[in-house]
Amino acid sequence: MFAFIAKRARNAVLLLFLASVLCFALVVSAPGNVAILIAELRTPTATKADIAKVEEELGLNKPLLERYGFWLNGAIHGDFGISYKTGEAVGASLKSRLAVTATLVAGGAVVAFLLSLFVGFVGALWAHRAPDVVTRGSALLGASTPSFFVGALLVYAFSVTWHVFPTFGFAGPVSWVLPWLTLGFLPAAVLSRVVRVGFEEAMAKPYVLTAMSKGLSRTSILVRDAIPNIAPTYLNALGTQIGTMVVGAVVVEPLFAWQGIGDLFLTGVRFRDFMVVQACLLVFITFFIILNVVVDICITLTDPRLRLQRS
Amino acid sequence: MNNNNEFMRIDRRSFLAGVSKLLGVSALSSILPSIVAASEVKDTLRIAIAKPAGDINPHKYTGLWGVQDLVFEPLVKYGHDGKIEPGLATEWSVEDGGRLLKLTLRKGVTFHDGTPFDAAAVEWNLKRWIGLEANNWMNSSRLYAGTDIVDDDHVNVRFKEPVLGLLQEFAYVRPVRLLSPKSVSGDGSYKAPVGTGPWHQATAGNEGSAFERFDAYWGDKPSFKYLEVKVLPDSRGRMAALRAGDVDLIGGAFVSPLTATEAETLKGAGIDVVIDPGTTTMIMAFNTSRVEALRDPKVRKAINLGIDRAAISQVLYRGLATSTGNLFSETVPYSGKRFDVPRRDTETAKSLLEEAGWVGGPVRQKDGKDLAIELVVSEEQVPGSRSVAEVIQSELQEIGVTLTIRSVDHASRHSDIPERKFDLAFFQTFGAPYEPFGTVVGLFLSTYDNGVDGKLFIDPEHLDPLVLAAMSAPEGEMEAALQKVYDWLHDNDAIAPLLFVPGIWAHAARVKGFQSPATEYDMPYENITLAE
Repeated sequence: MFAFIAKRARNAVLLLFLASVLCFALVVSAPGNVAILIAELRTPTATKADIAKVEEELGLNKPLLERYGFWLNGAIHGDFGISYKTGEAVGASLKSRLAVTATLVAGGAVVAFLLSLFVGFVGALWAHRAPDVVTRGSALLGASTPSFFVGALLVYAFSVTWHVFPTFGFAGPVSWVLPWLTLGFLPAAVLSRVVRVGFEEAMAKPYVLTAMSKGLSRTSILVRDAIPNIAPTYLNALGTQIGTMVVGAVVVEPLFAWQGIGDLFLTGVRFRDFMVVQACLLVFITFFIILNVVVDICITLTDPRLRLQRS
Repeated sequence: MNNNNEFMRIDRRSFLAGVSKLLGVSALSSILPSIVAASEVKDTLRIAIAKPAGDINPHKYTGLWGVQDLVFEPLVKYGHDGKIEPGLATEWSVEDGGRLLKLTLRKGVTFHDGTPFDAAAVEWNLKRWIGLEANNWMNSSRLYAGTDIVDDDHVNVRFKEPVLGLLQEFAYVRPVRLLSPKSVSGDGSYKAPVGTGPWHQATAGNEGSAFERFDAYWGDKPSFKYLEVKVLPDSRGRMAALRAGDVDLIGGAFVSPLTATEAETLKGAGIDVVIDPGTTTMIMAFNTSRVEALRDPKVRKAINLGIDRAAISQVLYRGLATSTGNLFSETVPYSGKRFDVPRRDTETAKSLLEEAGWVGGPVRQKDGKDLAIELVVSEEQVPGSRSVAEVIQSELQEIGVTLTIRSVDHASRHSDIPERKFDLAFFQTFGAPYEPFGTVVGLFLSTYDNGVDGKLFIDPEHLDPLVLAAMSAPEGEMEAALQKVYDWLHDNDAIAPLLFVPGIWAHAARVKGFQSPATEYDMPYENITLAE
């Protein structure tokens, strides 16, 4: 097991290095010159000389390899450089915003987890009957509805019409509810189908027949026998969905005026603030990679066959 | 051991009770501050802003104009219709043929930190921006000669040459507004936003900023005690917040922009919407140096006649924008005589293209080349321009012109436009208080480097002399000189003015007495009272 974790960690580091090269290349190959924007901040009518001065100051006229090396070395030491837009340290901005995005993604994940299990369970319990049809339809609708639309509907219903939750802000649990629901709704819809289909497959297995012959109820078979069997598949899908939630944060955070990493990334992209964009991309990629490793380990722990194979 | 296990055992009942209590405490902890805050909300004007106020140092270009306007004041103010009004200076005179500005300062004014506002404070502030290279885009900075303190209440500012639009420049938000001389560190670096304005900053962050009324303010004090600017980057979020009563005021080009469609939606929901004619004009530029066809005035005229301005105004701007054939709206000083708004006339447009040698169809050709033109659009720079481009694309197709739309982001626009990598592009005039010379000099004089804004139209041979003549004309002849510039642009179809961009604001029912600001760079809090 330890060897397996060590191997996954080594691959993760390699992947992270390749990803850093890729995100650096993507950002520098984008059209438009960031030096113009920075020069414009200093003086509204920046001349060519002003722009050249900015390029010199920030090393933007240096060879790409040198720029990459400089950036990577800083990133390893937690120094992601200075934002070209605000002049603030990018590392400090990331730190102050990490808790906001973590709250959003964690809450969204809990919503997705609970909602998907509930909907999937209801569908499986009353398989091919009215509740199953309704939950299947809801899941299809949920999986096809983009987050920003879900958010707008929730805000309209719960804030504008009923005044239950605030429309925006990060000020305590009441203000967290709508962003969590918005972020968790789409993954919940997708995951509920995984649960429902998983249950259907599990319930067709011979051990279910054995359990039934022992007189166990459908509910207890689902809970006792089916859930452990669908766990590896479900965890795999949950991991992927949590990964996409980080991308979803880019949409949800501005909608609810949460100053998280998603919002920082979006602002960075708009301004071509590539120090910020690079740092955010690196955070996203690191999160994906760590998540993958954790999910792999969890799957191995929940599946005795994999545990045996990987040990 | 068994007893210990008994103690540690959590049954379903106690687990559920514990979770319920935890949720109850969490909910209460988030509701309690809301109850406390509700009493403060009554005395607070809450304004949505699209992005954080940033560093609002008045001598830098980083902060949000509207927020800087809350804290910092100018010596003279730019009023409605371009009238210069007293600010921190009660009287002024421009003498020595425009080379000397004599200022009489307001008495009894203090900065938020108690520092007296006097001639020394004015001189200290001037030294922080005037004459510095970064500010040479302003005539007053480029031609600055020196400052003389006459006494505590009188200051004279000298210039090497007469300064065009001197008083207007002194009314700008940045870099001219006044900071307390004590709000800097020992090395002179900016420390805190301390001005003389009616609001002093209490807190600031990424979520927004909070301000308290400055009770020692020299002028009419606001009727409410607190003002908050809340960052709401998404326009749908801003609209929902206004409708739900979470903010009181949204709108303005630089505060929290609203589109015409959004304004109509809010109006339909019973929200008060205020439309101001605006002082900026949306114009389509022709780049004659890149596209040979556009060098022919007949082709430019045909394109001008091919555009249905009334339809764009009615459909895309929901009738809130006024279509135009002029460079400036009448609210801009020296905006010139009114030209007729070009009416869409496809037959005349087709005839003009025929005369210019562009024949055939569906795409017209000349010497085997298609009449194909590219239109550069930046939605961030000119909001709503993408839709306008699509309408123009389909309209020009009817007269045999193929238009390709190239959408670019803010950064790409700011590199492509100055480098003149466009055939057609949308521009917006700068608006008050920068007009008319901000646009006339900045966007038309070929020898003036206005950096990232680029040029709307350049013709060193014919247009530059007219612009230079207007710049150097004495006060009495300025209007006529500017009219010559406008006439030349109009007669040569050098530009395609489309519409005056409206200033759109929306406010909650409890906001009374709202008036649109004189410029889009000001925050409109002055006449507001808050109803219970």
